[in-house]
Amino acid sequence: MKILLADDDADRARYLMRLLARDSSVQVAAIEPGMLLADAVVAHMPDVVLVDMTRPDRDALEGLRQLSATRPHPVVLFVDEDDPGFMQEAIDAGVCSYNVGSVTPAEVKPVLRAAVALFRRHLQTHQALTAAESRLRERDVVDRAKAILIRTRKLSEPEAYRWLRREAMASARRIPEIALTVVQAHAKETP
Amino acid sequence: MTSPVRLGLLRLTDSAPAVLADAEGLYAAAGLDVALQVEPSWANVADKLAWGKLDAAIMLPPLALAAAAGLRGMRTRLHVTMGISQGGNAVVVGRAAAAALPATPLDAAAAGRALGVWLRDQASPPRFAVVHVFSTHNLLLRHWLAACGVDPDRDIETVVVPPERVVAALEAGQIAGFCAGAPWGDYAAETGAGRVLLGSSAIRPRHPEKCLAVSAAWAGQRPEAAKALTVALYRAQHLCDRPDRAPALAALMASRLGLPESATRAALPGGSGPEQIGFAVAARLDPTDALWFLREMRRWGWLDAGQDIAALAAETYRPATLLEA
Repeated sequence: MKILLADDDADRARYLMRLLARDSSVQVAAIEPGMLLADAVVAHMPDVVLVDMTRPDRDALEGLRQLSATRPHPVVLFVDEDDPGFMQEAIDAGVCSYNVGSVTPAEVKPVLRAAVALFRRHLQTHQALTAAESRLRERDVVDRAKAILIRTRKLSEPEAYRWLRREAMASARRIPEIALTVVQAHAKETP
Repeated sequence: MTSPVRLGLLRLTDSAPAVLADAEGLYAAAGLDVALQVEPSWANVADKLAWGKLDAAIMLPPLALAAAAGLRGMRTRLHVTMGISQGGNAVVVGRAAAAALPATPLDAAAAGRALGVWLRDQASPPRFAVVHVFSTHNLLLRHWLAACGVDPDRDIETVVVPPERVVAALEAGQIAGFCAGAPWGDYAAETGAGRVLLGSSAIRPRHPEKCLAVSAAWAGQRPEAAKALTVALYRAQHLCDRPDRAPALAALMASRLGLPESATRAALPGGSGPEQIGFAVAARLDPTDALWFLREMRRWGWLDAGQDIAALAAETYRPATLLEA
């Protein structure tokens, strides 16, 4: 079975290729950077195409049967109607699969399952990083707000923090949000 | 506390009612909490509607019908509850074809004949891009070419390129022309990548363009929210139709969706482009439009002969939602 992998994330693609290549019956090719997906499918003639759903040009695959009279096999989105939970997981993880040749769902599903697991792990790492970055930014905002309160209201540091916490509880918002309004109001007063 | 309505859209000028309703607080006024989700492609919108990751979306009517007919993966129960826009697409040719065509403005028939002469002069069929196989753009382009004696299956090669990439593809010489929605036609003209040969209303006057499609399962669970959504968008459509508000609307679309501002302005009411989008005029659905799309799809052999198109149109098009709301 020949698989074409269309993923612009080089690290993820490399890892997934290694993972899939452990199965000796599987041949994996990656799309060349800058190549149109439809052209890559014609060039590689894969049985299965694994696609990062955020690639806008994956839409090109949906028209291949209608758009080309020279291809004997239609390109169809892999869908497991009996396992909607699995399809939702795949969409959540951001990967989908198209069957090109005469492969069966039983052959495709393990491949897509491996891709879903990898994409999900990648997504979690990415989200953890984003959350960490935003926590760092939030801590910076809270520190600046505390400094402003200490200066303008003559509070000690613990008092400044308690002030922020009280305001947050009173308005059912998070402390960094309150801190941001303090920083913004201060910036407006002291141009 | 109900969860927010997840409304999908693409980076296009005719997404304006969905974006403006958010900016003007029209969703909240209709009692709705709406989360806009900008999607990278039409297939993403269709898949997320099918698998419950979107509740509603600004959609291409032929794609909604194709998804409901099971032409791309699983049969998806969708309801089209209102029209969002009318017209606004552009047929654009790159510099090679533009140089070979008369420089004067051409009507649809003359443009098609002239393009046909150029097409048949080429060694191999030039590539034209559409934004999805089941798009209004593809059906209109094919309809126009066929009416002008051009065989859309033999005289051109059709490829699918997402709307936000067509201008780059034209500039790079990957395609000879395209049919895509605003702002990309006017943007191609502004950047010198191509020439707008005609607006899509020259092919089919007052043609419906985008619609609101909702997941039938979601509409069944939250019928009041489905109605309220049409109300909010209908109010937004009236604001989008006002030429005096168009500059601010173009600026909003540029900041929220990253669209090129002047090309966005060109296709809004009162704009300077070859064609302007109509919004509220498109709101009331005409089921005969669904039949037109389905007949064109059948004409090109995309629908099985056994498909009951009248039943599919009636099941999918739900003009009563807006009327009741």
